[in-house]
Amino acid sequence: MTLQQQIRANRFRTAYVVVAFVGLIVVVAAASASFLGRPAAVFLLAGGLAYAVFAWWNAGRMVGALTHARPLEKRDDPELYRLIENVSIAAGLPATPPLYLVDDPAPNAFAAGARPSSVYVGVTSGLRRLMPARELEAVLAHEISHIRNRDVRLMTLAAVLVGAVAMISDIAFRMAFWGGRGRDRNPVQIVSAVVALLLAPLAAVLLQLALSRRREFLADASAAAILNDAEAMALALRRLQLDTSEIAYADRATAHLFIESPTRAIRGPGGFLAGLFQTHPPLAERIEALEQAGGFRLPPA
Amino acid sequence: MLWVLILVGVAAALLLAAVWLFNRLVRLRNEVDTGWANIDVQLKRRNDLIPNLVEAVKGYAAHERGVFEAVTEARAAVARAASPGAAGAADAMLGQALGRLLAVAEAYPELQASQNFSELQSELTDTEDKIAAARRYYNATVLAYNTAVQTFPSLVVARSFGFREREFFAADADERGVVPVAFG
Repeated sequence: MTLQQQIRANRFRTAYVVVAFVGLIVVVAAASASFLGRPAAVFLLAGGLAYAVFAWWNAGRMVGALTHARPLEKRDDPELYRLIENVSIAAGLPATPPLYLVDDPAPNAFAAGARPSSVYVGVTSGLRRLMPARELEAVLAHEISHIRNRDVRLMTLAAVLVGAVAMISDIAFRMAFWGGRGRDRNPVQIVSAVVALLLAPLAAVLLQLALSRRREFLADASAAAILNDAEAMALALRRLQLDTSEIAYADRATAHLFIESPTRAIRGPGGFLAGLFQTHPPLAERIEALEQAGGFRLPPA
Repeated sequence: MLWVLILVGVAAALLLAAVWLFNRLVRLRNEVDTGWANIDVQLKRRNDLIPNLVEAVKGYAAHERGVFEAVTEARAAVARAASPGAAGAADAMLGQALGRLLAVAEAYPELQASQNFSELQSELTDTEDKIAAARRYYNATVLAYNTAVQTFPSLVVARSFGFREREFFAADADERGVVPVAFG
């Protein structure tokens, strides 16, 4: 798959995510109209659409807030900036995206931003501390690949749109089963239950359809090509594999953004659906793919 | 009648294919041009840095005239180079000359200790890294473009519309070999 094909596929998938979100909002509003009355349904519809427009413009910042990332100035870490500048040049990006830092000991990284002018790369302080320059460069190259082939826009919008659906379903879930007790369930609760039971799996399937797991393999391969060094990428993934710490602020909405699945099993209400939200192929498989492409073999973990 | 229709259909399909191939060649060629512009920016940045570096070393080792001349000459050759191939050769020469200049500088601990010199030196290292990065991108775009120009069917369009092959920016001898990467 060439870069042009990847970009085209991502453009299509982005449109699909946005249309699916709007469609879902319309369906939920229509379904609730008969239970809650027309004003509530109109309010839901308007709210949902307003959120979609807001998300398009602010998705990058929203992800930044969700992951507790804050901007990193060049003078704070000139070495890291040099690495990302070099990687951006080697990848042929028109500009170097700014860096954000997540203060967390678990090593991880992500890229976010729905518009080209608002993309950035986030790294955790754990990653910065743990990795030597060569592997750090490989991780940055992986994120830059996501930016270059327009994965970021898709992934960021998926995070804020599908994330919102997941959140609504969580809230509905609570309202339905913890609100009242016994037989005195009111219409709101019935609607909530239906919404929760339908919405959560729908959101999960939506996410799965939109974000194929091949995305990560492709970004690994592109990073290896950008740096002309498949081994560095494999070594970086091996280091992530050996580390067992988990990042604090990651949930179902943002998990797919990271280079490595940020939590072993994502917790929270609706945890039984966590399996559906596994968006990352196992690191061992990714390392193996790089070993095959580069014709080398890492020592076993 | 049917034959006419078939002929018109085939002609239209061929024309569409030719347009598509032509646009692809233009896109690839534009990428090569962008890649070259990226290298050019970094080469200029380094050329702006060199006089300061030479001045700094001159202050301590004015007698090493040969080294300064070699650097100045190679710098001019890089600025003068008309093609990527020539620029690559000049770049290799400049690299050697700069190596000699830095070797001279090593004999002077005071120079090494000066803030100005160490800043210049790290700027130089940074620029050389960026030249290497820009070269990787440029050479990759040239490879994609040249392959399109040399292979059928885009070869036919390339020949008729004057798309010529482009030169690679020569790599250092010690550069790592190309990693074959399969997507997916």
